[in-house]
Amino acid sequence: MKRMFSVVVAVAVALGLSLASSVGAQQDTLAKIKETGVLTIGTRTGSPPFAYVNKNNEWVGFSIDLVEMLVKPEVQKAVGKSIKIEKKESTPPTRIPLLSSNAVDLIAGTMTDTPQRREAVDFSLTFFYTGAQFLVKKGSPIKGVNDLAGKRVAAQQGATNAKIIREKYPQAQLREFPDQPAAFQALLQGQVDAYTNDGIQLYGLKAKAPKPDEWDVVGDFYSEEPYGMAMRKGDAKFKAAVDAGLKNGFESGKYFEIYEKWFGPKGELPYPMTPQVKAYLLKQIGK
Amino acid sequence: MNYQFKWSVLWSGQSGVWLLQGLITTVEISALAWVLAAALGILSGALRTVPWKPARALATAYVEFFRNVPLLVWMFFWYFGVPPLLPRAVQDWIFNHGAEFWAGMFALGVYHGARMSEVIRSGIQAIPRTQFEASVAMGLTTFQAYRLVIVPIALRLIVPPATSESLNLLKNSSVALTISVAELTFQTRQIETYTAKAIEALTAGTVIYLVLCVGIAAIMARVERRFAIPGLIARGG
Amino acid sequence: MADVAIRFKDVDKWFGKLKVLSDINLAVVAGEVVVVCGPSGSGKSTLIRCVNGLEGIQGGDLIVLGESIVRPGVSMSGLRTRVGMVFQSFNLFPHMTVLQNITLAPVRVRGLGATEAEKTARALLERVRIPDKADHYPANLSGGQQQRVAIARALAMQPKIMLFDEPTSALDPEMINEVLDVMTDLAKDGMTMMVVTHEMGFARRVAHRVVFMDGGRVVEEATPEAFFATARSDRAKEFLSKILSH
Ligand SMILES: Nc1ncnc2c1ncn2[C@@H]1O[C@H](COP(=O)(O)OP(=O)(O)O)[C@@H](O)[C@H]1O
Ligand SMILES: [Mg+2]
Repeated sequence: MKRMFSVVVAVAVALGLSLASSVGAQQDTLAKIKETGVLTIGTRTGSPPFAYVNKNNEWVGFSIDLVEMLVKPEVQKAVGKSIKIEKKESTPPTRIPLLSSNAVDLIAGTMTDTPQRREAVDFSLTFFYTGAQFLVKKGSPIKGVNDLAGKRVAAQQGATNAKIIREKYPQAQLREFPDQPAAFQALLQGQVDAYTNDGIQLYGLKAKAPKPDEWDVVGDFYSEEPYGMAMRKGDAKFKAAVDAGLKNGFESGKYFEIYEKWFGPKGELPYPMTPQVKAYLLKQIGK
Repeated sequence: MNYQFKWSVLWSGQSGVWLLQGLITTVEISALAWVLAAALGILSGALRTVPWKPARALATAYVEFFRNVPLLVWMFFWYFGVPPLLPRAVQDWIFNHGAEFWAGMFALGVYHGARMSEVIRSGIQAIPRTQFEASVAMGLTTFQAYRLVIVPIALRLIVPPATSESLNLLKNSSVALTISVAELTFQTRQIETYTAKAIEALTAGTVIYLVLCVGIAAIMARVERRFAIPGLIARGG
Repeated sequence: MADVAIRFKDVDKWFGKLKVLSDINLAVVAGEVVVVCGPSGSGKSTLIRCVNGLEGIQGGDLIVLGESIVRPGVSMSGLRTRVGMVFQSFNLFPHMTVLQNITLAPVRVRGLGATEAEKTARALLERVRIPDKADHYPANLSGGQQQRVAIARALAMQPKIMLFDEPTSALDPEMINEVLDVMTDLAKDGMTMMVVTHEMGFARRVAHRVVFMDGGRVVEEATPEAFFATARSDRAKEFLSKILSH
C-alpha cells in the first residue's frame, strides 16, 4: 500500500501546488538547512545496494553513504554548523513532486540524469554509471535489444528503459510495472520473457533470485544511465555544495572506498568498476 | 518555490493520445468490472437473505473473504496466482493476449462485487418481509419472487449507495497499474516520465477522474428519478 | 359429510421453544366462511399461514384440497396457486401499476397470455369496484382501494380458498366497509374463506362459523348466533365484552 500512498501524496502535492502555483520566491536550500539543521533526502527502500532497508531494519546503501560521507561535510561547511540527514521514501513517480514541494531537498537514490528531467530539476555530478540490459532465463533466445520481436518485456514504470523500448523497439510487447518486485515476479513466473532495467539493478536481482544460476544478464548497454542526485532547479549555491562533496570524494579516493564497500568483492553486490566507467567519472572533474 | 509550470506538455507530443488511451482503458476495465460486480453483488446479496442456510453461508463467505483482503492483493492473485494453475501453453497464450487487463478486471469486479453485495443486501432487508410472503403466496417460486419483486424494489432503493460504490470502483481501477494495465493513472505517470512534468500530468489525471465521477453521478441521479418508486422515494425533478 | 377443503389434524406448531399452536383439530368445508377471532398473540395468523405453507407445522397433519401439505416433496407453489391470501398490510408491489400487480402471477405462474391476463384483471377490478385505477401505482391509492386490489390480485389466480389475515385492521374506519362489502360478495359467490378479523358485524352477517382461539388452542367453535348469544368459556366472554363495547 506504500505505493498507493505515494500516489496519494503526489496527487495531493499536485493539487496544492496548482493552487499555489504563482506563490513563493526562489527557495534557498542552504538557508533552509541552516535554519532547521536538517538535510532531507528522498531515497529508495528497495533498491539494494543503492538504498534499501537491510536485514537489521537499517536504511542504508551506496547512495546514502555518499550523502553522509561526502555531501554532508561540504554542506556543513557551507552553512557553518553541524547538520542531520533525514530520509524519506521517494519513488520514480513521486520524487520530482516531493522535491518541488520542498518535502525533500535532495534525491539520492537511483535516478538517471536525462535531458528532460534537467528541465525540471538540477543534477549533481554523475556518481554511478550503468546502462540498460536484460535479465532472462538462461538459454533464452533473447541476447540483446535486437531479439525482442514479439517478446514480452517487463520494465519499470517511469524508468528511462521503458521509454526507449517503446520508442525504438515497438515490436516488443512492453509490460510496465510500478516496482521492481512485481516486474521480477512476472519474469520468474513467465508472464514476461525478459526484464529490462539498469544492468546494476539486474545483477542485484539475479543475486537475490531463488536460483541465481538460472538467470543471465545479457546484452550491451542500449542506453546510458548516469545516476545523479537531483535538486530543485536554479539553486546554484546548494548545487555547488553537493558537487563539491562528490568532487572531493573523487579526488581524495574516498568515493572509491565507498564503492569498494558496496560493490567490491566482499560488498553487498560485487560489480567491479570498468576502466571506462572510472574514466567517465573522473572526466567530470577534469582528470 | 521554483517549479516552472508548462501545461503545454499535456497536448504536445504524444501526451494527448496517451491520456485518451488511458481514459479508454479506464472506462473499459471499469465498465466490465462494474457489470461483473453488479451481477455478483445482486446474486450474493440476494442469497444472503434467502430462507435457506447453505446459500446464505456461501454468500457470506464470498463477501467476507473478498472484501476483507486489499484490492492490490487480489490484483496480484489474479495475475500471479491464477495463471500457474493453467497449462504452460495456455499461460503463454493469455500472456500474449492481455492477461493483465483481464486479471485486473476480475480482481476489480470480484472485489467490488463483494462490496456491492452488502449494499444490495441492505436494500433487500429494507423491504418488509411480507412483500416476499405476498409474492410466494401468489404461487411465485422463491427465485421468481426475488427476480420480479424483491430485487427490482431493492435496486430502486439502493441507487445512492450503489452510485458511491460505483465511483469507488472507477477510482480503484487505478490499482490495475500495479499489474501493468495502461490505464489513466499509468498514462499520467508516463507523461511525467517523458516530460518530467509530474504536476501537470497528475493534475490532468485528477481532472479526468473528476469529470468521469461527476458524469456517473449525474447519470445515476437520472436513473434514480426515472425508476423512482411512486410514493416511496419522494424527490423533486 | 360435505367436501372438506381444509382439515387440521392434531396440529402442533413451535417457534423454537415457543409452542404457538397446540393440538388443533378443525375442518373447513368447501364454500364455508370461517371467522377466526381471539386475543392478540393467540395464534390466529399462524393458524391460517399454515394453510398455504407460509409456516410449517411440527406435529399432526394438515390436508388442503385433498392433499397433505406436510408430505415430503409437496409443491408449495402449486398449493399456493390454489390458496389466495390477503394480508393486513396489503403488500401490493410498489414498483408496479395496479394492473401489473394483478397480472404478474397469472402470466408468470399460470402462463396466461398478456392480453388475456389483462382482460381478467380488468374484470376483477370491476368486481372489486375500482375499474378506473388500473394504471395507478399503489402509492396513489387509498388504503381501502389498495386492499381491494390485493383481493383482486389473489383472485386472479382463481383460487379455491381465500385466507384473510385482519384485512381491515390497517384501514381508516370509513374504508372498512368497502373492503368488507367485497368480501361479502365473495362469500356469496361460494368462496371457501378463513378470515381472521375483529369485525364482529361481518362475522354475524357472513360467517357460517366462528372459531375462537386462545393461547394457541381452539377454545370455541360455533355458529355466529350461538357464539354471540352463549359463548361458554370465560376467555371468550371477556374477549367479546371488550370487542363489542366499542
Ligand atoms: N416468526 C415468528 N417467530 C417467533 N415467534 C412468532 C413468530 N410469529 C409469531 N410468533 C409468536 O407466535 C404467537 C402467535 O402469533 P400470531 O399467530 O401472530 O398471533 P395472532 O395473529 O393471534 O396475534 C405469538 O406469541 C407470537 O409472538
Ligand atoms: Mg395476527
